[in-house]
Amino acid sequence: MALKVALTGNPNVGKTSLYNRVTRSFEHVGNWHGVTVGSIEKTVVYEGKTVTVTDLPGMYSLSVYSFEEGIARDRVLEGSDDVVVNICEVNNLVRNMYLTLQLAELGAPLVVVVNMMDELKKQGKVLDASRIEKELGVRVIPMSAKYKTDSDTFMSEVCSFADSEKAKPILPYLKQLPLAKVESIISENLRRSGLKKDWACLKVLENDEFVKEKLDLSKAQNEELKKLGDYSGRVAQLRYEYIDYLTEGAIKDDPKGDKKHKSEGGLSSVDRFVLNKYLALPLFLLLMAAIFVVTFGFLGKWLSDLLELFISNCIGGPLTAWLSHAGAPKWVVALIGDGIINGVGGILVFLPQVVLLFFFLALLEDSGYISRVAFMTDGLFRKIGLSGRSVFTMLMGFGCSATALLTARGLEDENTRKKTVLLTPFMSCSARLPVYTAIAGAFFLNGRPLIVFAMYVLGAAVAIVIAAIMEHSGSRLKSGKLSFIMEMPPYRMPTFERVFQIIANNAKVYIIRVGTVIFAFNVIIWLLSNFSLTKGFVSDGSGSILQTVAGLIAPCFAPLGFGNWRAVTSLLSGLVAKEIVISSISSLGGPEAIFMEEYAGAAAVAFMTFTLLYTPCIATLGAMRKEIGLKYMFFGLFLQLGVAYVISLLVYWSGVLLIMFKPPVWGIVLVCVGSILVATLMIAVRRLVSGGCRSCGKCGRDCAKRKNK
Amino acid sequence: MTLNDAQAQKTYTISDICGNGNERRRLLDMGFTPETKVDVLTRAPLGGTVLVSLRNFTVALREDAAALVVLKGRV
Repeated sequence: MALKVALTGNPNVGKTSLYNRVTRSFEHVGNWHGVTVGSIEKTVVYEGKTVTVTDLPGMYSLSVYSFEEGIARDRVLEGSDDVVVNICEVNNLVRNMYLTLQLAELGAPLVVVVNMMDELKKQGKVLDASRIEKELGVRVIPMSAKYKTDSDTFMSEVCSFADSEKAKPILPYLKQLPLAKVESIISENLRRSGLKKDWACLKVLENDEFVKEKLDLSKAQNEELKKLGDYSGRVAQLRYEYIDYLTEGAIKDDPKGDKKHKSEGGLSSVDRFVLNKYLALPLFLLLMAAIFVVTFGFLGKWLSDLLELFISNCIGGPLTAWLSHAGAPKWVVALIGDGIINGVGGILVFLPQVVLLFFFLALLEDSGYISRVAFMTDGLFRKIGLSGRSVFTMLMGFGCSATALLTARGLEDENTRKKTVLLTPFMSCSARLPVYTAIAGAFFLNGRPLIVFAMYVLGAAVAIVIAAIMEHSGSRLKSGKLSFIMEMPPYRMPTFERVFQIIANNAKVYIIRVGTVIFAFNVIIWLLSNFSLTKGFVSDGSGSILQTVAGLIAPCFAPLGFGNWRAVTSLLSGLVAKEIVISSISSLGGPEAIFMEEYAGAAAVAFMTFTLLYTPCIATLGAMRKEIGLKYMFFGLFLQLGVAYVISLLVYWSGVLLIMFKPPVWGIVLVCVGSILVATLMIAVRRLVSGGCRSCGKCGRDCAKRKNK
Repeated sequence: MTLNDAQAQKTYTISDICGNGNERRRLLDMGFTPETKVDVLTRAPLGGTVLVSLRNFTVALREDAAALVVLKGRV
């Protein structure tokens, strides 16, 4: 029998880091609260023993507040684990031990790990773990999940604990609570529910909805319990008093260590700058722009060009030359040259840029900055029915839509969560980047970075506008009462090892993706577009299978400027993965062969816009179905298709008008500035007329009264 | 007074947490217990959300959650 070990603890204490260390996994970690949203497990062999380690989402308390906390609580209540490891962070020991006490109350086979001891050492302090161990009667292991030696110690401690006699934890504060009285009132229900007796009584005193529901209390019982008085606040207070007692003097200055105290109280100097009233938002935008410039501009571009040279000169050229020399059939040479080298190779060259992008996103996560962004944008996001926490999901959406959607689970309000899932696919994921770059490169040599950047902004803008429409049009998706309680992590520097891991891992994922799905699909598309059912190999694609099929849908896209079978084929195949849009365009003759109509430039931009906004890929649809159900998945699918169609149509015809009338640049600038001015004026006038507030009753402030004063 | 009326960069003592729903439970669990000291750090640039620190950690609360935290007065 495998030894079952569950990792529990507050959010962001390093549960998944420890899990990755112990099981040699690469689960997603980040320096914010609620990265892990489901339980994951892996079996490893440690010194001849089979151990199944389960990583659980973080929870603050056994009285849960959000969905993922429920997963962790249910697992602990199940009682199926041989060892329940409670991971605490040494900098936040008091708050973390609140859960420790609850697990001890439950009588779980508990081992406490105090993580991030290295940070304490840096501050020149030591932890007296033996004192807590003795007073509480629970094994305490101080360690740093950063170090491999520490995770070995952890495993051996856990294994030895599983074999040892378990002592009962010492919880003196329970004597101050009328648990016996509660038990006498609900004894019958306790037996029926199968919950642990003492623990359930305590939870009833705390007024825990989940336990009360399980107990199925009668009205008379509830009345009787009410007579005991309100203990819900008292229980929390008693726990914290006990923790204060346990930890008092447990963290001391190290007489040997150097004294480098962190400044205590108030905002840190970095936060004073980052969260400054006036600087916060410009700073965020500047940072995003910088990331963009480095990833798509000089560094990423330079690396991409290097890789492209390498592929075409060292692999593509020699290979096709050799093949034709060796007398391979013409279609084989064309398949390898156009279908594989141009198509797949054309995607592979984006490896440096995609890795860089993921690297920067990981830096945002690991440093702790992303939580600051959630805090400062919450005010704006609330107005459109989202939460500051939606920022996590949406920013991750710049990497990969499908994996980003999972992070929405941490959102407490159901409608906010649904909306975040529906709108995140509008954020331009890394797979769409090759499409913009290749097409813009073919038509707008100088304006390329500007057009690519405009696509990113457009995606975000569309998401925000649709959120606002959903919130204010009285639709069913109006957000409920939102409570935003979000912990702010301390700033941390990612380790060198972690940086290396991010780069290696993302490069691996990308290469596998290109080598399997994209490769296979490209071969299929090339074959379908170059073979006709009747004539066999047709080099120009006329009469091919794809031309016949995709040609049927093509007229629908004529108003958008790209109503030809090649463009439609690439859009359809893009449903498998968005990169395939461009790899199939390359194997179908390149962007120049596809946008040939009079207003090719306008059609190309409309095509990019469509690629940006339509359904990202099957994997994302699958994630949507899992997160918000089949009905909303279809809603999302049609929403994305509809929005993509309408906006591409607008883009195309604006483009056509621009080309037709060729207005001077200053004219366009004038129109833009003018409309911004008019909008600002209109808002200002409305504010003035209504006396600063429209007394709509929405915000809860009594405006009518204020005006009468 | 509640946390919403508190001034930034000042320290207060909590007197009680009102309400009786899930939010109250969560605030208590996070350590907003009576007699605890909270530092009000700053308010969000776009308003509505307040950043406080207590028991050696930092947490952001929206107005509605902050309205549940009743303060005794400045320390």
